[in-house]
Amino acid sequence: MSKLYRSREGDVTAVDTKTQLTTLGSETAPGPLLVPAGAKMLKAIISTFASNFAVAADGAIFIRLEGPGLPEGPESLTIGASGVAVATGGHGSFNASRTEMEIPVTPANEILLFAEMAGEDTGTVSVGVTLEFVL
Amino acid sequence: MARTITVEGDVNAIDTRNLLTSQGSVTAPSLVVPAGMTKIKKIIASGCADGLAAGQVVFLLRLGGNAVLNGEQTLVFGGEGSIAAQAGSDVAPSLGSLFVLNDADIDVRPSDTITIAAEMAGVDIGDAAVAVTLVYGK
Repeated sequence: MSKLYRSREGDVTAVDTKTQLTTLGSETAPGPLLVPAGAKMLKAIISTFASNFAVAADGAIFIRLEGPGLPEGPESLTIGASGVAVATGGHGSFNASRTEMEIPVTPANEILLFAEMAGEDTGTVSVGVTLEFVL
Repeated sequence: MARTITVEGDVNAIDTRNLLTSQGSVTAPSLVVPAGMTKIKKIIASGCADGLAAGQVVFLLRLGGNAVLNGEQTLVFGGEGSIAAQAGSDVAPSLGSLFVLNDADIDVRPSDTITIAAEMAGVDIGDAAVAVTLVYGK
């Protein structure tokens, strides 16, 4: 058994807005995130995010997984929350966290990743997600 | 039995692949996977920026090169945000979180070379320092 790691990231700029994660840093068009051939399951999700603290507000961040690569249908996962009291001087680091899932997958099919900010609009939030597949 | 390699480097531009090739006082540590090691068992990574620009980023790690058997693996390992401070104010420091991935279970070929790269993705927040340790095993 071994594992494969596939990632996407993107920026969420509005509250309550489903935002697809389609880029990967220097790769502006990495293409669809396909379930690797031979993958038995989505073993875990590693996620992180960061707010720019541009608004004195508080919001929670969650992600959505959709697409034909998920035979049991869409999934969602809370990945964190952030807030700041004044919009001048916020500065902070954010953990990446790994959540074990064991979600069935369909190899060679696409998984679409989305992120959303809920609650109040905290400014712009960058979100990064890694899918951990087991062969 | 385990073996380790630690590399570090600066990530000073957004959406730019930065090879991590140095190790502090050792400018060019060997990136050859030790003989007999067939897996990356653990990954430990941390990154932190100076926040001299207003923005927000997530940190990405890329593991590739001839030694990685199933192609490049990409992982996120943290994030950081900063808004421009008021003139004359003191901004609290930001402490980069330590991401530890146990049981990474990535297949590698011993005695071949691995490449370790990091990126910031999002909106530039200044200069960042990144360090990554790989723990090899069988």
